[in-house]
Amino acid sequence: MHAARAKVIWSVIAWTIVLAVVFPLIWMIVTSVKPQSELFSIPPTLAPETITFEHYVRLLTETPFLQYFRNSMILAVTTTLVVVTLGTLGAYSLVRFKYRGRETLATLVLFTYLMPSVVLIIPLYLMMVKLGLANTLTSLVIAYTTFALPYALWLLRSFMSGIPEDLESAALVDGAGRMGAFFDVILPQALPGVVSTALFTFILCWNEYLFALVLVNSDSVRPLTAGTMNMLITAFNIDWSLLMAASVMMSLPLIVIFTFLQGTLTKGFGAGAVKG
Amino acid sequence: MAKVVFEKVRKTFGSTIAVDDLDLTIDEGEFVSVLGPSGCGKTTTLRMLAGLEEPTGGTIRIGDCVVNGVPPAKRDIAMVFQSYALYPHMTVGKNIAYPLKKRGVREPERSERVQATARLLELETLLDRKPRQLSGGQQQRVALGRAMVREPEVFLLDEPLSNLDARLRAHMRAELIELHRRIGRTMIYVTHDQLEAMTMSTRIAVMNAGVLQQFATPADIFHRPANVFVAGFIGSPAMSLVDAELTDPGSDGGGDGEGRFRVRCGALDVALAPGLLRESAAPAPVSLGIRPEDILLGSGDHSAAVGVVERTGHESIVRLDADGTPLIARAPGDTPIEAGETVRFSLRAERLHLFDGVTGQRLNAENR
Repeated sequence: MHAARAKVIWSVIAWTIVLAVVFPLIWMIVTSVKPQSELFSIPPTLAPETITFEHYVRLLTETPFLQYFRNSMILAVTTTLVVVTLGTLGAYSLVRFKYRGRETLATLVLFTYLMPSVVLIIPLYLMMVKLGLANTLTSLVIAYTTFALPYALWLLRSFMSGIPEDLESAALVDGAGRMGAFFDVILPQALPGVVSTALFTFILCWNEYLFALVLVNSDSVRPLTAGTMNMLITAFNIDWSLLMAASVMMSLPLIVIFTFLQGTLTKGFGAGAVKG
Repeated sequence: MAKVVFEKVRKTFGSTIAVDDLDLTIDEGEFVSVLGPSGCGKTTTLRMLAGLEEPTGGTIRIGDCVVNGVPPAKRDIAMVFQSYALYPHMTVGKNIAYPLKKRGVREPERSERVQATARLLELETLLDRKPRQLSGGQQQRVALGRAMVREPEVFLLDEPLSNLDARLRAHMRAELIELHRRIGRTMIYVTHDQLEAMTMSTRIAVMNAGVLQQFATPADIFHRPANVFVAGFIGSPAMSLVDAELTDPGSDGGGDGEGRFRVRCGALDVALAPGLLRESAAPAPVSLGIRPEDILLGSGDHSAAVGVVERTGHESIVRLDADGTPLIARAPGDTPIEAGETVRFSLRAERLHLFDGVTGQRLNAENR
């Protein structure tokens, strides 16, 4: 009896938390399909009386939304590739090779992560101007890499240090070169770490606003966050319907990615491979 | 097949000397064990031969080639690791095929060789499993298979049996001896288990603190240990080693008039068998070594108090206290002996081991 009651109480608590988290998302979706007339009706309707996709159509046909979407996608994918490549190789080096200052280097990397990224905006902007990269996607790729890479290095370092050195030695003896052993043995073992790092970086780039606002200022290179805000929120008006429709569309890629990668993210690695 | 030669090989990690001035020549087709306690440099020696560590000094040769600086992939060696180091994301079949794949062996030859190896090790039914789905013994066989499939010149085995239970270990020992007999390749086997080394090897290299102590056949290592360390390390239970004094017939009161040395330790005073010591032996402090089986309980000139008696069934290990000198004796399992008794015993004088009290080096004559 006691156990059953405890279960009910825990379920209630759990569902309350889930609802609290999910409600804004539901509200976002609902608002995006309500007709303009129903938007500010009192009392507000949770389920829309009529469902319309006019806001989505307007967003896709009358605004530069698709351009922003494309920019965000290029930005997130490129940064993720750069960060994952540099991160895995860097972490591997920090774990496997013994050289002077290795630990100091790792600590310094952590310090850069501890520094608030806001303080970098102005120096970075001035640097980009000097380099002739201001108002380009490249400038944002560089900026995002600076704050995603330290985190990636630390995350991957902990994953890599969990991979037994014997596995790599075995690959070397079995005929692989250093890179062969890395790709054949180390990388598959570090895959859950690589996937989490990639996901973290992708989300970070996808949601980043501040740097996007400062470093670029034309529609051709603006990513979704800065672009949508710039387009739909003005001093005089907030176009809620379009904003909600844009928000739904912005969330979609992340939802899709999470759905597909959940398995890899939670999968254990190296279990039972090495005894002792 | 290939000969393996270490010449003045040295390896240091920072200020720690892992292997010091190692000279070792392993002949073609030999099964050599490198035996020693933890941290004696045996695994480092093996890793240097594999190319996983670069020696700080000296030369390593496999066959006629100096392999210093040659990457592991180019050394034509295979290694079985203590942890097995199977690739967790690959099936058993892919694990065994990996060395072939890396050396460009194409299908269908690759599959044929994997199948043949699997048949030899009775792994045919497991080829599609992942390593984590196998038992310890099966994983061990996969690791062996991965080493064998390529038919390398030299096999390196780093304590491959240490993770198995006692029964399986005894079984795998026999399997390895049989395997070596069948394929006849040079095998170098690192272990801290003297039983493995004694039963499987053609020769044993005993190491301690990075220094090679003795390199000889198991029989020589057992019967003619080169120094106090080898004497104390080999044999179970260990040889009793006591500080003693060597006296000779010429010096006053020591000899018995027949030209025989005597060795004295407290109440224990033994005349040595003629010719036991080398010519150069002179009266000095020595370490006297007595194997448990060379103490004959029941009658004799000496007496001792019986301490703990460990009965294993077929034998009894008896701890003795001969007037302050601790000794360990071996007796048949049914010997009627109890702790607290006083027993008489004699020593097989021709089987005693004497070592220099300062250097620890053996003082017995060449063949004794």
